[in-house]
Amino acid sequence: MEGTELKETMYVASDMFQFAPLIILLPMMAFAVILFLGRVFNGNPTWKNAVKEGGMIALGVMSAVLIISVLLIMDFIGGAGAGHESVLHWFTSGVWDGTSAGVTTEKFGFGLYVDHLTVMLLFVASFLCLLINVFSIGYMNTDPINDNRNHRFYAEFTLFCSGMLGMVLADSFLWLFIFWEIMGLCSYLLIGFYYERPSAAYAAKKAFLTTRIGDVFLMIGLVMLWDLFGSLDYVVVFDTANIEHVAEQSAGTLQWALGLMFIGAVGKSAQFPLHVWLPDAMEGPTPVSALIHAATMVNAGLYLVARMFPFFGAEALHGDLADLAYIIAVIGGITAVMAAAIAFVQIDLKKVLAYSTMSQLAYIFTGLGCAMYLANTLDWHHNDADHYIVIVAFGAALFHLFNHAMAKGMLFMASGSVIHEMHHAHHHLHHHDDHGDDHDDHHDDDFDAQSMENMGGLASKMPLTATAMLVGSASIMGLPLIGGFWSKEGIIANAWRVVQDDPRFLFPAMCVLIGAGMTGFYMSRMWLKTFAGKPKTEVAAHVGPTNTWIKTPLFILIFVSLSSVFFAGMGFTHWAPDEHYALMGEKSLFEGILYEMEHAFANSDMYFFVLTYIAIALGAVAGPGLAMALYGGQLEEGETAKPWMTPVIRLNAWVKGRFNFDNTAFAESTLAVALQNRLYIDQYYDMAMMKIVAGFSSKAAEVDTKVIDGTIKTIETSSQSLSGAVRSLTTGSARDYILMVAVGMLVIFMLVWGVA
Amino acid sequence: METTQAFTPEFYTAVMPEMLLFFGLLALMIIPNLGKGTFRIRGTQIRLPWFLGGQRYAWSSNPHLPAWIATLTLTGAFVAVADSLRGGVDAVHIVSSDAESAKELLMINGFSRVFELIFFGALALASFSSMNRLRVEGVGGKLKVDQLYNNRRQADFYILMLTCGLGMSVVALAQDLFVLFIGLELASFSTYVLVAFLKETKAGSEAGMKYFIVGSVASGVGLYGLSMLYLWAGSLQFDVLAATFAVSGTEPLPLIGIGFVLVGFGFKVSAAPFHFAAPDAYAGASSPVAGVLATASKAMGMVGLIRMLLIVAAPDASDGSAVWLVCLGALAALTMTWGNIAALGSTNPKRMLAYSSVAHAGYMLAGLTAVGAWTWDPTFAGNESDAALMVLTAVLFHLLVLVAFKLGAFLVLSILESDGDASRLSSLGGLAKREPLLAFAMFIFMISLAGVPPMAGFLSKLMVIMGIVNVGVGTGAGGLGDFHWVWWLALLMVLNSAVSVFYYLRVAVVMFFDEPEEGREGPLPKGWQVRTSILVCVLATVLIGVFGNSLLEMCRTAAESLTTKW
Repeated sequence: MEGTELKETMYVASDMFQFAPLIILLPMMAFAVILFLGRVFNGNPTWKNAVKEGGMIALGVMSAVLIISVLLIMDFIGGAGAGHESVLHWFTSGVWDGTSAGVTTEKFGFGLYVDHLTVMLLFVASFLCLLINVFSIGYMNTDPINDNRNHRFYAEFTLFCSGMLGMVLADSFLWLFIFWEIMGLCSYLLIGFYYERPSAAYAAKKAFLTTRIGDVFLMIGLVMLWDLFGSLDYVVVFDTANIEHVAEQSAGTLQWALGLMFIGAVGKSAQFPLHVWLPDAMEGPTPVSALIHAATMVNAGLYLVARMFPFFGAEALHGDLADLAYIIAVIGGITAVMAAAIAFVQIDLKKVLAYSTMSQLAYIFTGLGCAMYLANTLDWHHNDADHYIVIVAFGAALFHLFNHAMAKGMLFMASGSVIHEMHHAHHHLHHHDDHGDDHDDHHDDDFDAQSMENMGGLASKMPLTATAMLVGSASIMGLPLIGGFWSKEGIIANAWRVVQDDPRFLFPAMCVLIGAGMTGFYMSRMWLKTFAGKPKTEVAAHVGPTNTWIKTPLFILIFVSLSSVFFAGMGFTHWAPDEHYALMGEKSLFEGILYEMEHAFANSDMYFFVLTYIAIALGAVAGPGLAMALYGGQLEEGETAKPWMTPVIRLNAWVKGRFNFDNTAFAESTLAVALQNRLYIDQYYDMAMMKIVAGFSSKAAEVDTKVIDGTIKTIETSSQSLSGAVRSLTTGSARDYILMVAVGMLVIFMLVWGVA
Repeated sequence: METTQAFTPEFYTAVMPEMLLFFGLLALMIIPNLGKGTFRIRGTQIRLPWFLGGQRYAWSSNPHLPAWIATLTLTGAFVAVADSLRGGVDAVHIVSSDAESAKELLMINGFSRVFELIFFGALALASFSSMNRLRVEGVGGKLKVDQLYNNRRQADFYILMLTCGLGMSVVALAQDLFVLFIGLELASFSTYVLVAFLKETKAGSEAGMKYFIVGSVASGVGLYGLSMLYLWAGSLQFDVLAATFAVSGTEPLPLIGIGFVLVGFGFKVSAAPFHFAAPDAYAGASSPVAGVLATASKAMGMVGLIRMLLIVAAPDASDGSAVWLVCLGALAALTMTWGNIAALGSTNPKRMLAYSSVAHAGYMLAGLTAVGAWTWDPTFAGNESDAALMVLTAVLFHLLVLVAFKLGAFLVLSILESDGDASRLSSLGGLAKREPLLAFAMFIFMISLAGVPPMAGFLSKLMVIMGIVNVGVGTGAGGLGDFHWVWWLALLMVLNSAVSVFYYLRVAVVMFFDEPEEGREGPLPKGWQVRTSILVCVLATVLIGVFGNSLLEMCRTAAESLTTKW
C-alpha cells in the first residue's frame, strides 16, 4: 500500500464522544472491582444481601453505560452524524512494506467509530445487558447453588459487556477482533460457569473450539485485508479512493479476504456448518443464554458482515462481490431451514430457543446477503429507485436483528423464569417438611426442570411470563403487526426481489419462505406445550409466580416488542448504511406507519402482494394451526388465564378438538430420529476429530516433546554453560578488569585505524 | 536563542535547577550542624551564641533531616526542569567573559533538559528510598558515640547524592571539553564513594575500591583522548572541534583521540569489555545507589557519547560515513550479547540487573550506530519521518523510561536488603506471599525490562528497533541485499530480547511459586518512603507505556534540538 493512498476521512464528531470511552471502560473496571471485592468479602452478609455479590455494582455500571449510550445515540440522531475520533494514540511507527516504496508510518491506537450501524447495535447491547443484569439478580442470587460464587458471574458478565460494547464502538477491524476474542473468552467462562458438571465443561470447550475455527479464518481474512489496504482502520479501508485503488488491482483477493472474515462470522453467529456449539452452550446459567446466545454475542457475526457493507456498496467494486453475497444468503437459507427442522423435535425448552436463535440469525444473514447483492449489482449511487431498494433491504435485515434480539432476550428470560420456578416448585414439593437447609440436592436427582414434557398449563400460574413468551413467540413467528413481522416480511420480500434479478437466489428465497412456516410451528409448539393444556407433572401444577427482579425486564420487553410498529413507522426499516441518508423526520410517525401498513398489506406490485400473503399464511396460520392441532389444549378445571391469553387457549382447544391427528408415524420416522440427533452433524464432527485430528495431534505431540523440547533444552543448557564461561571472566580482581579495558582499547584502536 | 555571560540574571534563570542543587548542598552542610555552639570572647566570660556546633537541637539532630533536604532539593530541581520543558525550551548559551573571543561553556536547551530530568528524577527517587535503607539509630534521646557517628554519616551520603547530580548536569550542559571533564569527574568521584558507603558489608568497600580503580583508569584514558583532541585542534570548544573534524577528521590524531574517549565513556555506560567493574559495584553498593548507577550514571555516559560522536565527530552528509561506525557497531553487538548471556546464569538478582543494564547499554549503542549510518543532515529537525531523528528520539526515550523500571526494580531489592539480604535469587522467594503488591510491582518492572506490551519498556525497545530497521532499509532498498548492515543489529536486538525474557521471568517464577527462604517468612521491614517511590515507578511504567505519546513528542523535540541552535 503506497503511503500517498492513505487518506483519512474525518467527520464532525459529536460532543458525547468524550464520554463514549466510558461505555467500554466502566464495565471493564467493574470486572476488576467485582472480582477483587468478591475475593475479599466472599460470604459477608452485606456483600451477599445488599450488594448481591456484585450484582448491584454491575447494575450501577450498566445503567451508567445505558445512559451514556442513549445520550450518544440521541446526539447522533439529533444531527451530529457519523463520527470517528481517535481516543488514544499509542505510538507511530515505521512499517517497511517489502516493496520499493520504503518506509511508511503506521499509527497504533484506539478510536471510536459511530455510524448508523454502531448506534443500532450499541442500543441493543447496552439496553439488553442492563435488563439481563436485572434478571440475573433475580435468577442467580436466589439459587443456593450459586452462593458465594456469584461475584465470578458478575465479573465475567461485565467483562463480556465491555467486550461487546467495545466491539461495536471500535474504529478498526483489529480492535473489533480483539474485543471479539474477549467475548469469546467470556463466553467460554460463562458457559462453563458450573464447571463441576462435565456436560458444562464439555459445552464450554466445544463452544470455544468451534468459534475458534471461525476466528482463525477471520484472522487470515484480516491479514489479507491489511495486506490490501495497509491498515485495518475503518476510515482507511472504507475510503472510496482506497477501495478504488484496491479494486483496480485485486478485487478477487478482496472477495477472498471478506469471504474468510465471513467464516468468522459464521462461527460466532452459529451458522451451518459451525453451528454445533450453540445448543450445547445452553448448559450455562439462563442469564448467560439470554445474554450471549440470544441478545448480544451471536449478533457480533451479523455486525461484522454488516460492517462490510461499504465494500459491497462501493461503486468501484460493482458486481465483483456478488458471489460472496450469494454465499452469505445461501448459508443463511440452509441454516434457517435446518435449525427450524431440528427445533421441531426438541423437548428441552431452552434448546428450542437455541435452534430458533440459529434459524432467526440465518434469516438476518439471508437478508444481509440479499442487501449486499443488491448494493453490489444495482446502480444505487446514481439511481434513486435503486438507492431506495438497497436501503430498505439493508434496513430490513438490521431491523430483524433488533426485533430478534429484543424478542429472544425476552424469551430466554421468560424461559429462565419458568425453569427457575419449576426448580422451586420441585424443591418445595419434595422437601416441604424440611425447607431451607438442603437446597442444592435437587440438582442431583432425575427431574429435568427444562423439559417441556414436565410442564404444561402454566399460563394461569405465571401470567406475566406466559404473556412475555406469547409476545416473544409472536414476534419471532412474524404474526402480523407484532415485532418481527415487519422485518421478516422485509427479508422475505427482498430475497424474492433478488430472485427477479438472479435466479440463483431462488434457493435461499425458498428457504426463508418455508422457514417462516416452520417457525410458526415450532414456536407455537413451544408455547402450547409449556403454557397451555393440563399440567403434565405434579411439579408443574405447583409452580408459582416469579420474583420482581425477573418480572421487570420481561414487562419492559413486552412493550418493546409490541411497539415494533412504531419503530417501523419511524423509519427503522430504512436503517441506512449510507450517511447521506436522512434518518428520521422524512415522514411523520403516523404517515410512516400508514406507509408501512400499505406496503405490507396492500402492495401495489402484484408479485409482492401475493408473496406477503403466502408468508403470512405460512407463518401465522399454517404453522401455528398445525401446532394447535397437536399440542396444548384447555387448562385445568378452575384455572383461568389472563383475558388476552384466553382466546389463544380457546382457539387451541377448538383446533385440537376439531383437527387432532396421530403424529406417531412422523415421530418414529427416520427423519424425526435424525432430527433428534441433530442430523448427525455433531457425530460426524466427532468422528472426523477422532480419525484425523486426534491422530495428527498425537504425532504433533511426539514431535513437540522430542524435537522441539529437545532443541530448547539443548539451547538452554548450552547457553547456561556459555553464561558460566562468560561470567568466569569477571574474576573479581581489579587488575584483570584493567587488562580487559586495555584489550578493548586496543580493539577500538584497530577498528578505528582500519577504517581510517 | 540567547547568549549570555556567566553570573548574569539570565544565567541564573537558565541554570535554576543547578542553583537549587547548589543551595541544597549548602543547606546540607549547614543545617545538620546547627546547635547550641557558643563563642567565648577572649579574656572574658561572655559567650556569644553562634549556632554552629555544640550540642545539636532536637530538630537538627534528626537523622532523617539530610534525606529530606536532599529529596526536596532534587524534587525541586526536577520540577523546575519539568516546568521549563513545558511549552518548549529557549536555548541559552553561556559564554566566557572575554569580550573578543567569547568561548561557549554551557548550553541549556531541550536536549540537555531531558537529561537533567533523568538525573534529578532518578536521584530524587533514590534519596527518598535511601531513607529506609541507610541505618538510622533512633530519633532523639541519648545515643552512644558510634551511634551518633552513624547518624552524622547520613549527611555525607546525601551531600554525595547532590554533588553527583550537579556533576551529571554539568556533563549534560557542557559545550567545552574541559567543563565536560570537570562534570564527569565530579559525578564519578561521588559515585565511587557512594558505592563504598555501605561499610556494613565487606563487599561494599571492596566494590567501591574496584570501581574506583577501574574507573580512574578509564577516566585517564578518556582524558588522554581529550588532550589529543586539544593537541590536534588547538581548542576545547565543541563547535571548533566539529568544524575542524569536518575538514581533517581522518587524520590519525583525532581518530586515536576519539577512540580513547570512547573507552572513557564506554566505562560510564558499562559497554563490554569495559563493564567488568559494574556487576561488582552494583552488587556491593546499596540498592538505591546501584539503581542510580544503572540509570542516571548511564544516561550521563550516553550524553557524553552523543556529544562526542554526533557533534564533534559528526558523520558526513553521505550515509554510513562516520569513522566510528564499525567500531561502535562491534561494541554494541558485543555489549548486548555479553550482557544477556552473562545475565542468563546469574543467580544474584543485583548482578543479574547489572548485566541486564549492560545489555540495555548495548541496545542504545546500536541505536547510536544506526544514527551514524544514516544520511547525516543536521537540519533534520522538523522532518518527523527522518530515520536518524527517530532513532535518537528512541534512545532518549529509552533512557528516560529506564529510570522508572530499572530503578524501580532496584528499589524492590532495597527492601529485601533491609530485610537481610538480596544477593541470592532465593531471597525473592515467596515475595508474592510476603507482600503481594511488592511482588506485583517487581513483576511489572521485569516484564517492562523484557519489553512486554503495554509497558514503557516495550515502547522504548520497539522504537529503537523500528528506528534501526528504518535506517537499515533506507530509501529505495529493493531487498535484503541492499540493506545497510546496521539492520543486523536490529535483528540481534530482537534475538537478545528473546533471550532476556528467560532471566526476567525467572524472577517472577521465584517470587510467585517458590517458598520464602528459611526464617524469612515474616513481613518485610516497614518504610513508606521506598514504597511510595516504587509506586511512582510502577505508575510511570504503566502509564508511559500506554499514554507515552506526549513524552515521545518531548523526546523528539529534544532530539531535534541536539543539532539545531535553539
